[in-house]
Amino acid sequence: MSFARIGLWLLRRERSAGEWRVLLLALVIGVGSVSTTGFLGDRVKRAMSEQGARFLGADLLVTSPRPIDAWPAHTLEASAALEFASMVSRGDAFQLGTLRAVDAAYPLRGEVRIAERPFEAGAPRPAQPPPGAVYVDQEMLTLLNAAVGDSVQIGEASFRIAGVVVEEPGQLAGVFGFAPRVFLRADEVDQTHVLQPGSRLTYLYQFAGSADALDAFSTALKPQLEPTQRLLGSRDGVETLRGAFANADHYLQLTALISLLLSVAAIAIAAHRHAIRHYDQAALLRCMGATTAQLRVLYAVQLLTLGILGSAAGVAIGALMQQALAGLILPEAVTRLPSLGIAPVGVAIASGLLALAGASLPALMRLVRVPPLRVLRRDLPPLPVGAWLSAAITGGALLVLIAWYAGDAKLVAGFVGALAALVVVLAGLARLALVAGRGVQKISYGPVRFGLAQMLRHRFDSTLQLGAFTLALFLVALLTLVRSDLVDGWRQQLPENAPNHFLVNIAPHQQQAVADYLAEHRLEASEVYPMVRGRLVTKNGVPIADTLPPEARDNNTLRRELNLTWTATLPANNALLAGTWHGDRRAPEISVESNMAERLNLALGDTLGFESGDLVVEGRITSIRSVNWESMQPNFFVIFAPGALDNLPASAIASVYVPPDATTVLPGLVRAFPGVTLLALDKLIANIERVFAQIVAAIQLLLGFLLAAGMAVVVATLLASLDARQQEAVLLRTLGAQRAYLAKGLWSEFLALGLLAGLLATVCAEIAMALIADRLFDLPARLHPWLWLALPAAGALMVGMSGWLTTRHITQVPPMQSLRALG
Amino acid sequence: MTPADNAQFPVESKWASPSPPLPQAGEGWKEGDVVAARALSQRVATADGTLTILFDIALAVQAGDTLAVTGASGSGKSTLLGLLAGLDQPSAGEITLLGQRLNDLDEDARARLRAGRVGFVFQSFQLLPALSALENVLLPLELAGRADARERAAHWLERVGLTARAAHTPRQLSGGEQQRVALARAFATDPEIVFADEPTGNLDADTGARIIDLLFELNASARTTLILVTHDPALAARCQHRLHLVAGRVAEAVAA
Repeated sequence: MSFARIGLWLLRRERSAGEWRVLLLALVIGVGSVSTTGFLGDRVKRAMSEQGARFLGADLLVTSPRPIDAWPAHTLEASAALEFASMVSRGDAFQLGTLRAVDAAYPLRGEVRIAERPFEAGAPRPAQPPPGAVYVDQEMLTLLNAAVGDSVQIGEASFRIAGVVVEEPGQLAGVFGFAPRVFLRADEVDQTHVLQPGSRLTYLYQFAGSADALDAFSTALKPQLEPTQRLLGSRDGVETLRGAFANADHYLQLTALISLLLSVAAIAIAAHRHAIRHYDQAALLRCMGATTAQLRVLYAVQLLTLGILGSAAGVAIGALMQQALAGLILPEAVTRLPSLGIAPVGVAIASGLLALAGASLPALMRLVRVPPLRVLRRDLPPLPVGAWLSAAITGGALLVLIAWYAGDAKLVAGFVGALAALVVVLAGLARLALVAGRGVQKISYGPVRFGLAQMLRHRFDSTLQLGAFTLALFLVALLTLVRSDLVDGWRQQLPENAPNHFLVNIAPHQQQAVADYLAEHRLEASEVYPMVRGRLVTKNGVPIADTLPPEARDNNTLRRELNLTWTATLPANNALLAGTWHGDRRAPEISVESNMAERLNLALGDTLGFESGDLVVEGRITSIRSVNWESMQPNFFVIFAPGALDNLPASAIASVYVPPDATTVLPGLVRAFPGVTLLALDKLIANIERVFAQIVAAIQLLLGFLLAAGMAVVVATLLASLDARQQEAVLLRTLGAQRAYLAKGLWSEFLALGLLAGLLATVCAEIAMALIADRLFDLPARLHPWLWLALPAAGALMVGMSGWLTTRHITQVPPMQSLRALG
Repeated sequence: MTPADNAQFPVESKWASPSPPLPQAGEGWKEGDVVAARALSQRVATADGTLTILFDIALAVQAGDTLAVTGASGSGKSTLLGLLAGLDQPSAGEITLLGQRLNDLDEDARARLRAGRVGFVFQSFQLLPALSALENVLLPLELAGRADARERAAHWLERVGLTARAAHTPRQLSGGEQQRVALARAFATDPEIVFADEPTGNLDADTGARIIDLLFELNASARTTLILVTHDPALAARCQHRLHLVAGRVAEAVAA
């Protein structure tokens, strides 16, 4: 029998040993955690590459806020579509939709799947509906409580729903899109009369053809594009999306990595104990003629077997968990893909083996170096393995894992730094907590005193357990708080009766009628502000980009069109910071929001030029304002003096508070003013919350792994001290301590540990939340009383249970048997 | 290396001083010796300086002979056993085991030499707790790569009268039964020499006597060379040769 087989044989015989189980469990948890995110990421990546060229629905896509009439000469296939937002209503039900008006050629690449009934797979069809009809997606159908065949109203025209949009090119990008989709015919848009001057429109021009023709075309086209117009190759679309996704994926993976690292700690502890318990075995085997190399094979095979078993089980769990995760955060287009890829299996198993090797090799190296003379002299320790070598092996494995999951050097450095800082802080806090525990121990009595003494005696173990569990609880708490606090905090900051609806796209001729309607229904509305769309192009006659340092040029404010308005009175929630308010002076004067002024380096007296359509209007900055953006009023970066924008196409915007019981007002408004778009903030906020909650739920699922890994650390450290504990227990029982006394002692110890971990986690979470609220979100910091109860309770419960389950049998073994077993 | 380091890891203490003068002629290995030693010394460094455990030992044991090494606790008898079995390196002197000069062999080469050819019986039995009685006997056979390992293990378990308890783990066996398993394990590979370190040290008198009977019976029938460390004079008396150690020196050598 080869030594590999002997290794397996011994492993099989020892499979019920505590260390193997903990080691295996920790490995399963660690690999489960990284494979969950690995599978998920792989799935999305495959979905993206599968979509490939079909992502844009074309080989080339040009987007523009205005129609483009002049194109370079070309022989490409072409299609033009127009995208805009509008209300879609059916009876009293109405919903904001994202409408895409398409021609017969759309899409040039990829396909649109249309189904006859909701929740069917559908079949590829042209996206252009038959005359007088629209296609809507599932969500719209549900929101309007409509069925295929029903009629819906868009602006002033009525359309029949001819089918359900199941899939369309670029759907992945719409994961977080808030308005449901409607397809209608390009030649029927005019009937709706919803397009107003100043409406936010996106023209989509698609092109497809040979690579050479596309190259020539895009080369000719690029110089004539304006900054608000974008040219996307089929690769660009996917790349943009991939970039955005890669970031999210990174953070999920890093969360998973933390679990894996905690598992490494548990594995290292279990492997250490395993080695200590097998010194005699190794010495005996050497005595019987096994060489170092043979022992190495024997133990390596055992380790490899455990590694493969644990990783495989972890991958299986990961496969199940990713399915749950995918259901939470992925759009249907992705979930239709086969869920499991091969690549992440390899990555997860490799990570598992690496973690296992890094954590347990130093211990096993010692095992192989046990002197055979130990069979005669039981106290002989194995030859030392260099501390630097051990540290290099473990540290190297950790570093490779972190680098693997973090990707770039900066993130690796940040992660390692944060981890080191966290370890130091947690270790310090744990030590402090133990010092405090000493005070409690002094005034306690009986078994409680004994239990606390145990906790203090195993100081290194206790610190490790406290640290690991505090980390797990802290991260879980932090995430829960971030989710509830930020959304709630923001909501609570809103004044009561804050506007909850925006009315946009109000045509100039409707302004008065809308105002009258609102007044008639006694609704508190803001002023109605005219709105003109224009892009900031010059400062004092110089292109604005040239006045900025290179790193500031990529400012979004420069690329997009701003909403410009004019008014004579300073809006209520604005405050003048510098200069004088222009009032109703009919002069080309403007007032600029302070943050924008700072970002773009603007000062009083500068003259800014705005391009709107073919016209450029200029204004001199005569005042700088601060704006309360949370006021839910229409807010503007730039306000002109009256008259300056008279020549430009304008629509108007207003905000209004609609009490929850005024249910008929809004349907009435939509019917009376079909072109007006109604943005329900409630729904928007609810949508944001929903998306946020999904992401948080996904991360919390991962934190489940973290808690499990924390428990594995607790169990591993306890197992490592089990022999000493058993000896103590035997001694105490021999001296007359009752079983119940020992049990109470154990419970006191573990409950105290869990309680402390919970308290530490609470303190950390409160501090972190205060910092986040203050620094990132400008919200007042506040305490969370329930947290001070919940976390210590959760900690006590989890540590108490795992501690008791690990150690309970030492109170149950009769002293005589224990003495013999230890003999 | 400081003395303190050395004390912790005495196994590293090889050839700490220049080789001592060669021993007298006739004390070295000769044809027919299974194990022989000459001018054997063992020193370990302790915190208080160098401690000499064995002084200038010479011995030779012929195939099939039995030798008892006796002495009080701390007289160096277990150290001698460890050296003779190649489990440790002497500070000075020469050992020849099974025709091989141990001084020329490194740790692994000595292990290879032992495989299947040297058996051991220990005071604390040293059975692997996870393995059954049969599997404990099987272990050295498997390590030596014997083809009929399982049959041999069963056979030897029968020889020690434990066939009925083959599936029991050490925990389920009494001390005497555990040592019987250990005896079966020691003889299972048909070794040329068996080293026994205080085989009755952990047993009561009656059980110990029965184990000794069994040990000598197995040894006689297998014609194995036996080197036995004991402080029990009665046990020593059953061996052909006796070496009495006092403070690391041979105080008395009795040949049959």
